[in-house]
Amino acid sequence: MDFREMMESKYRELLENYIKEQSEQALYAGQKFSRKTIEQKISPEEIVSLHKSLLIEMYPDVPEKVINSFDILLEVMIGYGLAYREHQSLRHKQEELRSEMEIAANVQQTLLGTKVPVINGLDIGAISVPAKHMNGDYYHFVHDENNCISVAIADVIGKGIPAALCMSMIKYSMDSLPENRMGPSSILENLNRVVEQNVDPSMFITMFYGMYDPATNILSYASAGHEPGIYYNAEKKEFTELSARGLLLGVEKRTKYKEYKKEILPGDMVILMSDGVTECRTDEGFIERETLLGYINKYIHLSAQEIVNRIFKELEKLQHFQLRDDFTLIILKRDV
Amino acid sequence: MSIQSCVTIINEWDIVAARQLGRNVAKELGFGTVDQARITTAISELARNIYLYAGKGQICIDKLYEDGKAGLRINAADNGPGISDIRQVMEDGFSTSGGLGAGLPGVKRLMDQFEIESSPGNGTQIKATKWLR
Amino acid sequence: MNISIDVKEKDTAIELTVSGEIDAYTAPKLRETLFPLSEENGVNMVVDLSGVSYMDSTGLGVFVGVFKNVRANDGQFKIVGLSERLQRLFEITGLADIININSQIEGGV
Repeated sequence: MDFREMMESKYRELLENYIKEQSEQALYAGQKFSRKTIEQKISPEEIVSLHKSLLIEMYPDVPEKVINSFDILLEVMIGYGLAYREHQSLRHKQEELRSEMEIAANVQQTLLGTKVPVINGLDIGAISVPAKHMNGDYYHFVHDENNCISVAIADVIGKGIPAALCMSMIKYSMDSLPENRMGPSSILENLNRVVEQNVDPSMFITMFYGMYDPATNILSYASAGHEPGIYYNAEKKEFTELSARGLLLGVEKRTKYKEYKKEILPGDMVILMSDGVTECRTDEGFIERETLLGYINKYIHLSAQEIVNRIFKELEKLQHFQLRDDFTLIILKRDV
Repeated sequence: MSIQSCVTIINEWDIVAARQLGRNVAKELGFGTVDQARITTAISELARNIYLYAGKGQICIDKLYEDGKAGLRINAADNGPGISDIRQVMEDGFSTSGGLGAGLPGVKRLMDQFEIESSPGNGTQIKATKWLR
Repeated sequence: MNISIDVKEKDTAIELTVSGEIDAYTAPKLRETLFPLSEENGVNMVVDLSGVSYMDSTGLGVFVGVFKNVRANDGQFKIVGLSERLQRLFEITGLADIININSQIEGGV
């Protein structure tokens, strides 16, 4: 027996049962029946038509008026059936898009991949988690031949695919910077020209660029409108803002960036982040910088990677596991 | 072999006439009530498109007999502005978002075969066929 | 989440009052309203953000775009009524150095 014949006899049975005694059980059977018919892609108009023909067959004395009324119902249900099938097809398309996005996110990961350098005397931890599939945040480490460690952390204004595409360009231009030693401010000046020329005028990038020289323990840094980092003074057990002024990349062609220097003593830390960390919102409003500092203090005895992992878990929980923005946190900790 | 009769679409009443013509032919060919309703809905959509976007056009209904099968073909033709991006109007969700009904993807779903020819300035010709099972 | 944008236009002077939240969802509406106005020649645009409770970087992007348009068309652009949080956002991004932001609404010090 094919499904349609089976459906007909099943529906007849349902109808008979319910007309005999109007029980909840019979209605429940009707609900279960609909699950089967939806699965088999039976359209609503077919059910109406089946109902009408069974009614004529089973109860020949049903007034013609009532029978005719089903023609109107059938006509109306055709519209609903079409809307339903359109919905199904859109859902299918959405599924396709989603898997395409996942592939793109993997490509991006490979493209933007960077290794956290391992050197004596400096403990580095980094985490970057996108709010959706694609990450508009970016970090990059370079360990050069002078044994200096450079770190860049960047955030594209905007989220999702456009931001991710833009980031790939930044990564490419950073890789093509001349090998000879450039300071953070000249690197930002270079990138600013690239972004200004190549990116959509309403798209901007913030970037913090730092270069740590283990020989002198000096961190040189410059910022292009990026969320200020935090400096932890181990001796005084004190956090201060690693303030640096500078305009976003891509706004003005000839922007100059000021370079700052900070001596990093044993036990000191430098904490860098994207605005996804400070713009993290909870039910009570934004998290305050104090909350963040509280978490750092709580985990300060751990390794840099452990600290960033734990802080992410805490902030994720505070936001009920729904990130509104891409999240990136980096900690550099000088060994004691 | 085909036998054709037509309705000219100028105002909204003509949509009803086209539906009536389609239903009569579908009945004659022996289509069941559900398929009759599907065919008339498809005719409605096509006639409405002519009325709304082209202003004037024609709906013709053919009876087809091919390889021992009988079928009904709707021919919708107009000399309106035409469609520049056919792929877009055939996309789900494009024309339906404004509550304009099932749109062309809907017509395609209601029928068994669907052909469209259109370009800006040359009007639109649509052929949609349903075969009797 | 929503925003309302009130536009008062008198000759080349345009006063905009924005209230609500500016984020990825509402920023397109802001852009649609502001961009055509910013392309008029010699416009004097003042945007009041005192009713804005939240703005993310997408909103910042819109204002930078508007600022560049106005400047390219020999106009004036000013933002007033920034909350402490928004003021900080403009300072961090260095935009406070190129865009006229005035925390007082009328005749600020």
